[in-house]
Amino acid sequence: MDLIRRSSAFQEDTAPLATGTAPGAGNQRRARTAAAVAAAVAVGLLLSGCGGGAAPQGADQPAAADPASADSAAGNLTVCGGKDASGIYKGTTEAFTAANGKVTAKYTEIGATTDEARTQAVQRLEGKSTECDIFLTDVIWTSEFASQGWLLDQTKLVEANKERLIPSTVETTKYEDKYWASPFFTNAGLIYYQKDKVAKPETWQQLYSEAARAPGNSFVYQGKQYEGLTVNFLEMLYSAGGEVLDDKGEVRIDSPESRKVLDFMVKGLKEGSADRAVLTYNEDPARLAYESGNFGYQRNWPHVYRLLNATPLAGTFGVAPLPAWEGGKASGVLGGWNLAISAHSTNKAAAVAFINFATTPDWQKHVAMDFSQAPVNEDAYSDAGVLAKMPFATELLASVKGAKPRPISPVYPQISQAIYKNVYAVLSGTASTEDAVKAMAGEIKAAKASF
Amino acid sequence: MAVKFLSPGSGVSGRGVNGRDRAERRLAVRMAAPSLVLMALVAAVPIGYALWLSLNQYSVRTAGLSRFVGLENYVSALTGPHWWAAFGQTFLFAGLSVSLELVLGTAMALLLNLAFRGRALLRTVVLLPYAVVTVVSAITWETMFQPNLGLVTNVLSMLGLPGGDVVWLGERGYAMAVIVLADIWKTTPFAALIILAGLQVIPAETYEAAELDGASKWQAFIGITLPLLRPAIVLAAIFRTMDALRVFDLPFVLTRGANGTESMSMLAYTQLRENRLVGEGSALSILTFLTVMAVSVVYIRFAGGNIRDVAKEEQ
Amino acid sequence: MSILTAQRTTTAQAPLRKAPKRRLRGEAKLHPVVWVFVVAVMGFSLIPFYWLVNTSLKTGPSLSKGELFPSQPTIGNYLAVFQNPEFLLALRNSVIIAVVTTTVALVFASFAAYALARLKMRRKALILTLILSVTTFPAIAIAAPIFSIWREIGLYDTLLGLIIPKLTFALPLAIYTLTSFFREIPRELEESAYMDGATPFMAFRKVILPLAVPGLATTAILVFISVWNEFLLAVTLTTSPEARPVPVAIAFFSGTSEFDQPLGTISAASVIITVPLVILVLLCQRRIVSGMTAGAVKG
Repeated sequence: MDLIRRSSAFQEDTAPLATGTAPGAGNQRRARTAAAVAAAVAVGLLLSGCGGGAAPQGADQPAAADPASADSAAGNLTVCGGKDASGIYKGTTEAFTAANGKVTAKYTEIGATTDEARTQAVQRLEGKSTECDIFLTDVIWTSEFASQGWLLDQTKLVEANKERLIPSTVETTKYEDKYWASPFFTNAGLIYYQKDKVAKPETWQQLYSEAARAPGNSFVYQGKQYEGLTVNFLEMLYSAGGEVLDDKGEVRIDSPESRKVLDFMVKGLKEGSADRAVLTYNEDPARLAYESGNFGYQRNWPHVYRLLNATPLAGTFGVAPLPAWEGGKASGVLGGWNLAISAHSTNKAAAVAFINFATTPDWQKHVAMDFSQAPVNEDAYSDAGVLAKMPFATELLASVKGAKPRPISPVYPQISQAIYKNVYAVLSGTASTEDAVKAMAGEIKAAKASF
Repeated sequence: MAVKFLSPGSGVSGRGVNGRDRAERRLAVRMAAPSLVLMALVAAVPIGYALWLSLNQYSVRTAGLSRFVGLENYVSALTGPHWWAAFGQTFLFAGLSVSLELVLGTAMALLLNLAFRGRALLRTVVLLPYAVVTVVSAITWETMFQPNLGLVTNVLSMLGLPGGDVVWLGERGYAMAVIVLADIWKTTPFAALIILAGLQVIPAETYEAAELDGASKWQAFIGITLPLLRPAIVLAAIFRTMDALRVFDLPFVLTRGANGTESMSMLAYTQLRENRLVGEGSALSILTFLTVMAVSVVYIRFAGGNIRDVAKEEQ
Repeated sequence: MSILTAQRTTTAQAPLRKAPKRRLRGEAKLHPVVWVFVVAVMGFSLIPFYWLVNTSLKTGPSLSKGELFPSQPTIGNYLAVFQNPEFLLALRNSVIIAVVTTTVALVFASFAAYALARLKMRRKALILTLILSVTTFPAIAIAAPIFSIWREIGLYDTLLGLIIPKLTFALPLAIYTLTSFFREIPRELEESAYMDGATPFMAFRKVILPLAVPGLATTAILVFISVWNEFLLAVTLTTSPEARPVPVAIAFFSGTSEFDQPLGTISAASVIITVPLVILVLLCQRRIVSGMTAGAVKG
């Protein structure tokens, strides 16, 4: 009995229809059951133990973060997320600890890659682990995590900070009219180009035709079958005026725009605008290839700027926002990381204080200056100190402001797979544009109908 | 192998045969118990848990919502296109890599068994690939085949051989070839080591007898060595096949399953971890498990080797 | 028969010192074609390894040049790896985990293998199948439940918490290999031990184990390497540097961003961690060789 009571009623509450428990909802209880049963080595018993789900109890709304609580914050705080490559996570927790005085914050790396970090975060959230108070969440995780009731509602907090944040970054924390995280730093694709060989790209069409002019001009992007291909495809699709889901959540990918963009990309591969090797590239191989000096254009993230400057290419390349589709406008896809408070955090007040600190205009400047990440505070981009370290800050701000989020849905991973697998099939020549677009639409509809 | 030997102690007088028999069985149970109990505790529970999960569906949109669906997850997996595609691709991979590994492994073991100066060096060198962490070996092979930058593509172009300008990991067939090659490189030493150990228990007299009979080296190998090596080869085959059928890291790093390289484990991973379709993903895990089990049992029953003899000794 | 026992036992316990004095079987006759094979096998094993070493000697921009020989080789990556305190901690963890797991696995597995190979036992086929089933389950489906249980009972993020499951999944390989080996040892040797009044357990300790040394050494290498390299359980069941083994620590090596793979340092670390394996192989070498010379000496 104790076992059942200890598993918070919260998860079942959000689902009055619950007929059982989610695998995660019961993980803790089940794990304890499992441990007990393990001693008896009786799998059968375990199974029956799992079967009895907790009955739904009286519903109340998920807990919300209280901005006022930050003042009384004290104690320890653990922030969890992926590999701290730029040092920003540890840097922020240390600076916060020093500035706050009463709260001691530390950063724990729970996964080496984005995939792994998500898996490990999900494992902890499903298991109601209290290990992590704050999770670094990729912008595409918000709906999934929020719909599962794993996060604290941060609406009040975000509303209070909203003025100073770039609106597109705030949008990535929204699910069903509430905000579930606070933007920490953002990200948007940029075009790096060799000034001696090619012109600054204004449109995709111009970029592709210049790239095809000589073998040394060609364009590298991320065309491997993975999330990055979804981003690369959507950047073009958005600028061409296409979309995946409309405002009502209806599937709109079966469109002339999708066909246009796919045909354009295929033609680019055939005519040499892009090297066929892009089909094997994710971010790092694309950068390494570009660094060899054999290419004219590269689509990549802002972090590449610093790396390129350490190569012989330093001074020869320019940075531009993503180009527009001919006759359309420029657009992009928003990346970046948000700060979400775990529903099982034992120190929510300290978590709120940390988020307040991380999103202050002052710290956001450090985000750019010390760690080369894109701030979520618009004023930071015009700061002299930031511009000195990040000369392309103006282009970056343009890209961030013009960027749109990826489809917002709790089944986003399935939607993205439907996109990148079918786009890959077209690019690699194993499917026709027509079939792929139809398949994409069908699979996204099926994903949206998931139980 | 099939010859029945006296059971230990049966010739010794004193207590009755039955008493001895019982003591021996008790000893057997006691000796096997630590391993069996540990495996039951640590492995059986998760497997049983996955079995239960596979009979349910867990909502990815509403927290805490789940429903019992019986075998529906299995039915939809078996009637959908993805499972069978992954099934075929995995078996293709396993068939290619394991058969090549066994042939190469046997050849390697024969070399390692020769006595010559530098044998210690050869043994160490041959084992090196096995010591490299799989993910790192995947990255190494990825960079070796990278267009323009890789060792293989560069050397092929320099020598004017075909393949230098191929985007290996971006083409159907070529991508599978790289994955098979990477697997062979890393795990042939495993097969070689097991087969080498098998080689070493073959008494030297058997060769001498063959030499006296005037058999050629090749005849001696086919007629004597190979049959005697059978237990070792089957053992290597069982474990290599089981691993190959569960292949995950190599295609995950190298192609993400593109170009006809998605394996059964990758499919389960996608559903279980990426899509959090826990019921569907668990069903795929169980299906993978059953497939691999079935293949292993077939090996043990039909491929022979002394593991089969053990299995037959049920008494 | 007892003569055979005596001879077998002494040769197996192998005064290796003797071996070099004798001309080993086949040494004189190594055919040129065989040499070609030797070179080919070495080449196949070493070329990718060379590429790994090559990469480990490059930093920054030279990583993207695809040079077959590093034009400016640097040991900077190696220094960086050794200056990383978390890597050294991980190395310690890995050594502890691998040594403990291998030792315990050999003890447990040789017991179980002896029971399966030699003793009367009910339902051997079923037991063999169950043992095998432990390793046929996709690892990704196993890691998550173990994670939850470990957290509950406090084994999460501890060395013991890694040793237990790694031991479990190493056991089937060890049991199968050893069972197969024990079967190869002629029954007559035990029979004569029984004649001398030995109990089955004594026969196991005094006859089987010494004779199975080559098999034990082989099994030790296989188990050690598989434990050393295992990644998925390791990353799932640990979060702190105090418990993290090497493969996970390598994965956490930082480039300059989440998208940047520090190829140079990863390669350097990978080369470094093969060293313990090489040492192990060289140590076990004598044992494997001893098994071999047992045959050679008799000839």
